Amino acid sequence: MAARVRVLGLGNELLADDAVGILAARKVAERCPPEEVEVIASSESGLYLLEYVTDVARLIVIDSVQTGRTAPGTIHVVCEENVRAAPGSTPHGTGLFDALALARKLGYNVPKEVIILAVEAADCLTIGGEMHPGVAAAIPELVERVVRMSVN
Amino acid sequence: MPVETTTRRITIDPITRLEGHGKIEIFLDDDGQVERAYFQVPELRGFEKFAQGRPAEDMPQITSRICGVCPTAHHMAATRALDNLYQVTPPPAAQKIRELVFNTFMAEDHALHFYFLGGPDFVVGPQAPAAERNVLGVVARVGVETGKAVISMRRKLRELTTLAAGKTVHPVFGLPGGVAKPLTEADRQRFREVAAEAVDFAQFTLETFEKIVLENSDYGDLITGGVFTHRTHYMGMVDSNNQVNFYQGSLRVVTPEGKEVAKFAPEKYLDYIAEHVEPWSYMKFCYLKQPGWKGFMEGADSGVFAVAPLARLNVTEGMPTPLAQQAYEKYIKTLGKPVHHTLATHWARIIELIYATERMKQLADDPEITDPNVRTIPTATPREGVGVVEAPRGTLIHHYKTDERGLITAANLIVASQNNAARMSMSVEKAAKGLLSGREISEGLLNMVEMAFRAYDPCLGCATHSLPGSMPLSVRVRGRDGETLSMLVRDADGAIRRS
Repeated sequence: MAARVRVLGLGNELLADDAVGILAARKVAERCPPEEVEVIASSESGLYLLEYVTDVARLIVIDSVQTGRTAPGTIHVVCEENVRAAPGSTPHGTGLFDALALARKLGYNVPKEVIILAVEAADCLTIGGEMHPGVAAAIPELVERVVRMSVN
Repeated sequence: MPVETTTRRITIDPITRLEGHGKIEIFLDDDGQVERAYFQVPELRGFEKFAQGRPAEDMPQITSRICGVCPTAHHMAATRALDNLYQVTPPPAAQKIRELVFNTFMAEDHALHFYFLGGPDFVVGPQAPAAERNVLGVVARVGVETGKAVISMRRKLRELTTLAAGKTVHPVFGLPGGVAKPLTEADRQRFREVAAEAVDFAQFTLETFEKIVLENSDYGDLITGGVFTHRTHYMGMVDSNNQVNFYQGSLRVVTPEGKEVAKFAPEKYLDYIAEHVEPWSYMKFCYLKQPGWKGFMEGADSGVFAVAPLARLNVTEGMPTPLAQQAYEKYIKTLGKPVHHTLATHWARIIELIYATERMKQLADDPEITDPNVRTIPTATPREGVGVVEAPRGTLIHHYKTDERGLITAANLIVASQNNAARMSMSVEKAAKGLLSGREISEGLLNMVEMAFRAYDPCLGCATHSLPGSMPLSVRVRGRDGETLSMLVRDADGAIRRS
């Protein structure tokens, strides 16, 4: 039987703070039974995400965000509608939401509920760059919250 | 930065990030007229430093993680650079497997791009309301069934890549001198089946394009309209018949008149291409050393050149496969050659899609591709290597230097958008000059700028995660003292608001 919940960690491992979604997703995978929670970590973008947003009841996305209005490491929890109202809140934003919108329009099975946990990032452009201490410090709390949301 | 203190400046800036994504800078003179306009793409920093000290063999894996859209292109350019570094020629079967995988990737990317990224301009239409110019508008126009066919075709092409290249997201099969595993007969048969289907799909795509675009004179006017027409040099990779090849060959450069001015082995690229730096931008602008950097100028005396589908079709002497050749002839007959209209890139992309699928079929039909000999073991001492492929968005160059143990001492990447950077800025400037009057920025200007984005489809560094087509933009007009005179924002859902 397919897992009820999918956790999708987005970002780029090479790019300093942009690794946060990938690293957190891996830690979530260590904590959750795979038959209940399917964990995917991907550095793909845009419509390449289409397969990851279909055929699951519940989707939790972990990503980085640069709003510039909060300290690095701040965890923003938003649902899909909120993000659409404030467009582009995540670096992957438009791609992810286009993928969701397209999947719905084409009649694929798309989760009713999409929750996004986005961590405020300072630098997503330096290859091999160090993660901001605030972002690194947010990972345990982030993982904890995703695990709680996933297994309940 | 004198240019900032003596001129007025308008910034068209995506609101998503503090730094990043494409950025348009428009400078006004004292009379409020557009003086210059530039296009900037954020660049990833630190690659050279990150690469230093790492084994060169790791580069195909590392560089494929740079980009969320083009992992296969980086993987392949890096693998080709390793061949060159270790002075090995892969066995024929290995070359064929690599080219097969690469064409599969090109077909997947081109198909997705035409329908869902270029689609908002060419399928939905430039006159359609902004709110409809997105993927949903495309589906509304082509129908749910066609939309599903695109997604299903893409999925099959992706599965093929996994068969031959391991993990789809980050292929793991390229090694110096060959590939990690041979292609089984069963895999070859699967490639043949899907390739045949893909050839039909590409033909269907061409028919869709002809029906929607070519039979509508508005589109014709848009393509050939002057805004994004630039007479520049063009560069692309060709085989020994001077015909396009995405995977291997020589780089060929033609003038705005279509005359060959250079043809060279990829490892000689530094003899022909240089990078120009402007004080206002962190971006580097590639240009031809001969005739040299003459500014953002068109014509045979300027070193500005372009890459990507439009350029490749200007460089090639016909297409190497029959159906692509047919489509190419109609294209040339309609638009002439060379084609200088940037928006014709979308048409050129479909012709390349046809070629990629036909080439897949040719390679999969060849029984030699299952030969188990897929590796030439390197024995030479490494020193320096260059690898070039034609990525969907244009010529991609990887260049590594190593010590005698094969540890990287220097590394350089030139991605397609750097090759296109000067011409992209020229398009933005032309749009700004044609459409901006006074302080108020019109929706028309935003539309034109977005269309240019979609045609060039720049590789936006970190922003490879986002789709240029639906990128939110904000435009700010600033007075001499930096005060905001007016501002216009387009949200991701297409809504426009002024503040």
